[in-house]
Amino acid sequence: MSANAAPITATDSLSQALKANIIPNQEYLLQGSVLDSAVEVLLHRLRGLCDNVDAGPETFDDQEVCFSLRDPNHHQAPPLMLRVRKALDARDMPFQLRYIGQPDLGDKNRPTVVRSSLDIACSGMLIEFLNELGCRIEFEYSVKGYMFRKGRMKITVAKVFKISQNSMPPEPISQSYLVELSVLAPQGQDAIGEDMRAFADQLRPLVQLDKIDYKRLGHMSVS
Amino acid sequence: MANSVNISIEAPIENQIQEITYDGQEIYQAPLSMSENLARLAQKIDFSKTEDEFCNIKKEGESSSDTKSDEDNKDQSYQSSLWPWDSVRNKLRSALTEVSVLADVLNIAKEKRYMVLDPVQPEKVESRPMVQVYGRKKALSAAAAVLQAGMERLRASETMRMARNMPDFHIDLLRLRQNWRLKKVSNTIIGDLSYRTAGSKFSQTGVFEVTKAPEEQIAQAMSMNTGGPPPSALRVTVPPELQGVAFISVLCQKEQEEVVTATLSASALSCTAGEGELHWQQRLEAAQNVLFCKELFARLAAEAVQLDASIPHMVVGNQIMATVLPGIQLLIGLCHNNGQTNANANVEGVKTEGSSSSGKSDHDHVLEHSLHQLLRAVHHANTHHPFPHPATGPLGPSKRRCLAGPMAADRYELLDMSKEQSLLEQIIQQAQHFFMRRRSEYVLDTIAKEVKDPLIVSHWNALNSPTQSCVKINIMAHGYDAVCRTSLVVHVGEKTLKCICRDGKVRHLSYELQELRDLIYCQIYQHQMTAVQAVGRCMGWQLLASSAHLGSGPVEPLGNASSCLLASPNGDRMIAIRCEPSVGIQVFIAQSPRKDFFSSELVQDKKWENLGGAFKEIKLDKMEGKNFLNKMELLMACLSSPS
Repeated sequence: MSANAAPITATDSLSQALKANIIPNQEYLLQGSVLDSAVEVLLHRLRGLCDNVDAGPETFDDQEVCFSLRDPNHHQAPPLMLRVRKALDARDMPFQLRYIGQPDLGDKNRPTVVRSSLDIACSGMLIEFLNELGCRIEFEYSVKGYMFRKGRMKITVAKVFKISQNSMPPEPISQSYLVELSVLAPQGQDAIGEDMRAFADQLRPLVQLDKIDYKRLGHMSVS
Repeated sequence: MANSVNISIEAPIENQIQEITYDGQEIYQAPLSMSENLARLAQKIDFSKTEDEFCNIKKEGESSSDTKSDEDNKDQSYQSSLWPWDSVRNKLRSALTEVSVLADVLNIAKEKRYMVLDPVQPEKVESRPMVQVYGRKKALSAAAAVLQAGMERLRASETMRMARNMPDFHIDLLRLRQNWRLKKVSNTIIGDLSYRTAGSKFSQTGVFEVTKAPEEQIAQAMSMNTGGPPPSALRVTVPPELQGVAFISVLCQKEQEEVVTATLSASALSCTAGEGELHWQQRLEAAQNVLFCKELFARLAAEAVQLDASIPHMVVGNQIMATVLPGIQLLIGLCHNNGQTNANANVEGVKTEGSSSSGKSDHDHVLEHSLHQLLRAVHHANTHHPFPHPATGPLGPSKRRCLAGPMAADRYELLDMSKEQSLLEQIIQQAQHFFMRRRSEYVLDTIAKEVKDPLIVSHWNALNSPTQSCVKINIMAHGYDAVCRTSLVVHVGEKTLKCICRDGKVRHLSYELQELRDLIYCQIYQHQMTAVQAVGRCMGWQLLASSAHLGSGPVEPLGNASSCLLASPNGDRMIAIRCEPSVGIQVFIAQSPRKDFFSSELVQDKKWENLGGAFKEIKLDKMEGKNFLNKMELLMACLSSPS
């Protein structure tokens, strides 16, 4: 048994991982919505298209709190938005701290929205830690729905609820479900966008998944 | 209901993000200055569009020259990007030229002296309705001819089918489609019988072709078996390497000297000859089984070569040999009978021996089933990855992996998470456990047969796993099970046994039979000793002394001798018991006023007779009593005298 060589330090392995471009820090995203009356049909279609037909669709129930961190020296700079998400139906899973960047406004012909996304699993002390750092709560909401997967792609059909203060049941903010098709991948894997677009085309006309530009949300026509 | 909500409106970020650093800071592009903005807008003006709208009388030559000049301008703008106004100036100049020319022409035409503008009638198009009618009629008749030809064919096949009552191709195809995945590729119908959608990553494809069975064959088959079920109108063609029947034979046997031992007799595999007789369902299922067995054997063979065991595994032809326990071998073989020619000739690479008539009878169906289950579990794990909770997490990492971060797992824990046991290791473990269990059963059964005095009762747990079983052993005497009972639990693992005795001691034994046997014998004699003390308590006898590990007497080959001393209720009798696992039990009695006391010169007083006499041995085998405890009870009964 040969003696072990000097163990690789954590920073070395991290820089190797960065160079090899294996850290999935980009999210490719397509979004759409369906009315409550039409969601059953969509779920049936997704059950047929997606993997794992034998098991039923996976449900999830999450709560998300969004924090903002402002730089006290530069008041004009936009604040850093951080999201903390916890699973209400799986209490033993860790909290998730998420940073989502602005969408990459590169190519207009890109089939999906590409934005930087970093997910970190954290222990339960996260919220106190962020409060100590100086973050303030911007908003919070809860999401409940179904999750499907096809290969690397993840499709969620979920309803967004407002969190009520007292122990009343949460009320939905709209009569519709939000449908999201997303893939977490390292940089440079743009071919996945074509696969996502092809899959989204299979879901037409039940739901239209598109790139949503948040800045122009007010000008979008309701069709 | 009337909650007022504050709405804040702010303009979105105007500047584009140039870069996001890894600590989350966003660097914005500097906004353009006024002149830069104007230059950018000026470059966007597309002069060619505005020209086409205004001048309808453009000739094609001029428009092409315009496009050429556009391209030149574009080239120029790439080269002389320092001055963007160059293209604008050129465009404006050419526009000015055009407008001046137009103004001149209009002025000259207005004077009506040298140029006049006259309206021109467009030419009339001659209408020929009859030609159109004839054209359409011809096209429609061609289409009708195609449709009619198809209809004639269908009608002919339908009448023929109804007349002869032959099986319908389409109904059969529908039934086939309900069970198997079919696809139409150009003119042929192709099906897939592999386990790929169930999670298999095997490279061999299972593609089969579906064709229509020729009518003569159907008619022949129908005339041959009139009483049986009608033949199907389909014929499925399975790739030649998947034809026939196959199974994986698993044998555990004592180690043999020859490297290759024949285990399969050709008659063990039954395969009906002839292609046409087997229904397509059976044929496809058999082919799928062949593919599954091939994948399983390929995986096991690859693992056998790669694994680093203390005694290396051997792969010879279609057999894998692995050593399970010292002296015991596990033979896994792939038996595939192609069934093309006669069955005897085609058994691959195996010669039959006269002595090894074991063949299929020794083949372990349980282990074969375990192998199938293990491979199916691998397939299942390939497709069913855990979903992330919360929903925005990455797909893929297991729950342990997700918790590794917050729970600060170190490098070794992470490496452990990524290791997984191979199929061969798992099946070897199961075979080892099977042997351990059989051996333990054999030991317990033999001891139960040999030792009649305390009864050895063993209860095997009904629930067990392929690698662990449990047995509870009760040692008790007949008739005295409420008085004293010794129990112990033995956990049978893969290569070791774990014994937990009632006093809390845990002993780990190896795979040698003798250790378990010795332990049970020691327990038996301990039981006898404790039982005797319990019986004495019941009878009112007092325990004067006991020792579990006696240091006197000859050295015991097995365990230690134990002894105890009991006194009768009124103290005049004593019983001494010595128990040795290898020799047996010896009982001595003594009585307190000595019968053989005679006063002599040394000891004169009569009171010394109360000191108690010498111990005399009892012949236990001559005593009455069903078992040892019964004998002791009777002994105590007759020695207790009323006083």
